[in-house]
Amino acid sequence: MKTFFNDLYKKANKGPWPLIITVGLMVIGSITVYQSPRSLGAFLTLMLCPMMIYFLKINTKVKIFMGLLLAIVIIPVLGIRNIFYLEVIFQMAVFAALALGLNIVIGMAGLLDLGYVAFYAVGAYSWAIFGSKQLSLLHSIPGAAPAGAEFSLSPSYFWLFLFLGVGLAALAGILLGLPVLRLRGDYLAIVTLGFGEVIRVLALNLDKPINLTNGPQGITPIQRPPLPPGFILEPIRSLLTPIVGHVPTDAEFYNVFFYLLALVVILIAIAVATRLEDSRIGRAWAAIREDETAAIAMGIPLVRMKLAAFAAGASFAGCMGVLYAANRTFVSPETFSFLQSIGVLTMVILGGLGSIPGVIFGAGAVVILNIQVLQNFSLYLSALRQSDAVIPIINFAWKDLSNQLDPAKYQKLVFGIILVVMMIFRPEGLIPAERRKRELVEDKE
Amino acid sequence: MSLLQTIDVVKRFGGLIAVNKINFSIEQGTIASIIGPNGAGKTTFFNSLTGIYKPEEGQILFNGQSLIGLRPDQVSTRGISRTFQNIRLFGNMTVIENIIVGMHTQLKQGATDALFRTKKFHEEEKEAENRASQLMEYVGLKNVGNQLARNLPYGAQRRIEIARAIAANPTLLLLDEPTAGMNPNETADAIKLFRHIRDDKGITILLIEHDMRVVMGISEHISVMDYGEKIAEGTPKDIRNNQRVIEAYLGREAAKLRD
Amino acid sequence: MKQFTSNPFYKFILFPIGQMLVFILGASLALSLFIILLAFLFRSNVTDFDLVERTLLILPQVLINGITIGFVYATIALGYTMVYGVLEFINFSHSEIFMVGGIVGVELMAYFDHTGALQTMNQYVVIGLAILLGMVISGSLAVTIERIAYKPLRGAPRLVPLISAIGMSFFLQDAVRLILSLTTGEFNVILPNFGTFDEFLILAVPGIENPLRFQIKSILLVGVTVIMLVGLNYLVNGTKVGKAIRAVAQDRPSASLMGINVNLIISITFLIGGALGGAAGVLFAIKATRLDPFVGFFPGLKAFTAAVLGGIGNLTGALLGGLILGLLESFGASYLSIFTNGAFGAEYKDILAFAILIIVLIIRPSGLLGQTVAQKA
Repeated sequence: MKTFFNDLYKKANKGPWPLIITVGLMVIGSITVYQSPRSLGAFLTLMLCPMMIYFLKINTKVKIFMGLLLAIVIIPVLGIRNIFYLEVIFQMAVFAALALGLNIVIGMAGLLDLGYVAFYAVGAYSWAIFGSKQLSLLHSIPGAAPAGAEFSLSPSYFWLFLFLGVGLAALAGILLGLPVLRLRGDYLAIVTLGFGEVIRVLALNLDKPINLTNGPQGITPIQRPPLPPGFILEPIRSLLTPIVGHVPTDAEFYNVFFYLLALVVILIAIAVATRLEDSRIGRAWAAIREDETAAIAMGIPLVRMKLAAFAAGASFAGCMGVLYAANRTFVSPETFSFLQSIGVLTMVILGGLGSIPGVIFGAGAVVILNIQVLQNFSLYLSALRQSDAVIPIINFAWKDLSNQLDPAKYQKLVFGIILVVMMIFRPEGLIPAERRKRELVEDKE
Repeated sequence: MSLLQTIDVVKRFGGLIAVNKINFSIEQGTIASIIGPNGAGKTTFFNSLTGIYKPEEGQILFNGQSLIGLRPDQVSTRGISRTFQNIRLFGNMTVIENIIVGMHTQLKQGATDALFRTKKFHEEEKEAENRASQLMEYVGLKNVGNQLARNLPYGAQRRIEIARAIAANPTLLLLDEPTAGMNPNETADAIKLFRHIRDDKGITILLIEHDMRVVMGISEHISVMDYGEKIAEGTPKDIRNNQRVIEAYLGREAAKLRD
Repeated sequence: MKQFTSNPFYKFILFPIGQMLVFILGASLALSLFIILLAFLFRSNVTDFDLVERTLLILPQVLINGITIGFVYATIALGYTMVYGVLEFINFSHSEIFMVGGIVGVELMAYFDHTGALQTMNQYVVIGLAILLGMVISGSLAVTIERIAYKPLRGAPRLVPLISAIGMSFFLQDAVRLILSLTTGEFNVILPNFGTFDEFLILAVPGIENPLRFQIKSILLVGVTVIMLVGLNYLVNGTKVGKAIRAVAQDRPSASLMGINVNLIISITFLIGGALGGAAGVLFAIKATRLDPFVGFFPGLKAFTAAVLGGIGNLTGALLGGLILGLLESFGASYLSIFTNGAFGAEYKDILAFAILIIVLIIRPSGLLGQTVAQKA
């Protein structure tokens, strides 16, 4: 089986094949997605495209060109035609950034953080509180907002908060890390889990004594940054109208805008992660992960390096939090549950601890599984429920199936199975991390 | 002044006194050994020197400055480097990376240099890589730079651990049973390497050893520990003829053999 | 005197019960004095009622609640601490073992209710059967989980089995939910109403204005856990199996060399821990009356905190830690709101445990009764 795939990979990687495969996938994917808006197969075909661009041997300039074409032309156009895919891709981007951040903490430095989503919450709530009317509601009861409350900041401050979110989350990482990073690995895991819960419970209950978070109802509306001015937007709008078959609305432009912004954050995150990994800091993290005692004997200050890992990982989540709050125009404590932390952990484990392409793949796979495969399955089951179909041998009528059985709600089952199976059969992940090979003088001789 | 001097160092674990009032010193440029039967407290003494354990009493002076209360990484920065009894390489990193980690305190690049790939970063990385390659050859290894450390044979791992330790440019190198598990040929090579390190780089070496041939062949000064105490010290010749050492160390070992 | 202490009746019955009494009285007394002192200090800050009087008024009930829930935590904590003692591994899925025990117990009682037998049977027999079934199912589940998800990972880096355990925990929550949804169409299980458990036993104490009120379910809960704890103490300290467990916990390779079947002992440890968790689940269900597949999470984490607080790996420590945690939680839930004038209240009791966990781990990671073991470098 394995050799079969290896052979296939080798054959596909020769001569003109890589280019034919990628261009083919891109064309077929684009057309099928354009034609059948909710087909999972079509979407997966399109999503295979970036993977092929990454894995196959193609001239780097051609790779970049195709990547850009896909990312900033094809996907936005398809996304305006059919908003659902853009939502899936946006979520993939958000979780990829979170997974990249968590990967620094777990994959590179070997610290199991089970409360990672807390840093995401710090970022999201920082813009939610300052980018909404919440500051003028501090002394009112949740749900009983007085009329005429004002937004406290102009929407352009979003850009400032994108950076502030990075800083605040990093600060939270350091504040948490200072007392607990001396702990042994398994204790650290439980303490970070506790921290995650503390943040969630605070978000849930800090509607008194002053109403900072609006409690379980969450904060809304949260402002979005202004779209580009009309003289840029209008030509694009009229250009796209015949292609997508309707006049693109501002809401659709916002989705593209947030998608592109998330893409930029991802690219920065990838650059930061790869550059840190292959530097003095990244090597120190790896050394700590491999053997703390030996690392400290080599002069690596353990606590300071672990704090750096915590802060770096947290900062990715903080930035994405701000972005997420603006995209949804709504935040509530529910988004920041333990389930989310484990979801991100599952992405990292599935893709491969410490492997940057791995965790991006993991994020994509888990998001598709969650919001496409499981949801399609749910839709399929509810269709069956409405029908008169019967399972032959056991004589079970589908319409008797419990309404509680909604696969889309069984994320924990999926995460649980992935975690256990990966740990037992493939702890290094589907795309394992590799150390960079250096061109050493000795090899040339 | 001695390079390293300990005065009445005591390390206890609960009721057990693992290191009892050890006075010890080592002169710059020498090769010295600590020997003693299993459980005599040698490794505990090493760990007390390098800051892994904090001694309850006593003083440790290195170049005249106290090491008491320093963390292991701070001790390392002062110029003491070490290897471990059971090899502790970074198994999932390449050989070259292992050695470059040894240079951690020498490298000057910060996070911004790494993020923006400054000229300083590239120069330093290249230099570190070259030095690591040289060190690898220095300890007698070739063409393994890109292999993961855990995939190498035992003897090569010992050598890499030593290369990693000298990468930190130490003044004092502590070797914890560096020839354990080696065959006689490998041991002979290792002894040559230790001498070479001292003669060539001027690094003072202190080793813990079990193998008497190694100790007698290489050391200029030997201290003997038993039950946490120093029972003798002197030149190899002194030690060989010391009645107490023969009784405590060899006698007991001989008795063990008889059982 | 020496003869007396080696008397099995003293060693396995009197001594453990005495120890529990000492822990209960000690912890209750210390916390009560502390809260009364606080009340006196803050008395002048509160004007609309007398803080000291209010504090004293609810104190007995707070203590009773705390001790009751403390025993449940202690029973769960024993499962964590036994497994940790033997494998040095946090069995994250123990909270789900606890949940499964509770749900199985309630389902059995619901079944009796369905067949109509519930009203005719003796209420204590029903509870006894439910606890027994919960113990059997949870114990075997724990052993099965160990075989499937942990055993293949023995010897792997520490975090690998922990991640597997987290996965198992998540899997079990939804698996139970799936089973319940498919069979009953509803994943909340509700304790059928029967017996006299909700009634109170009223005890007038001379010198105290209000009589003490003990709910029968609280007495039942404490009684059953005390019997189980005494039994466990005998099992671990008085039998051959217990000796083997202690040997494996001390030094696995040596125990194996001495002819102890280490795998079997590990399975037995999971069996005992799981059975205790299952029993605790049923008792918890009697108190909570309503369970769902996600109910194990917080009690599980609190029990883990209790185990760490007492000194993980130490059975007596788990008991002490559980009691202290139960009392602290009860005090927090009742007094936080009174002392902060309603600004903070019982909603923070769930994170109180984490605050305690963090403080304990920073100040004394070995716990109250644990010994500091030097890590060999």
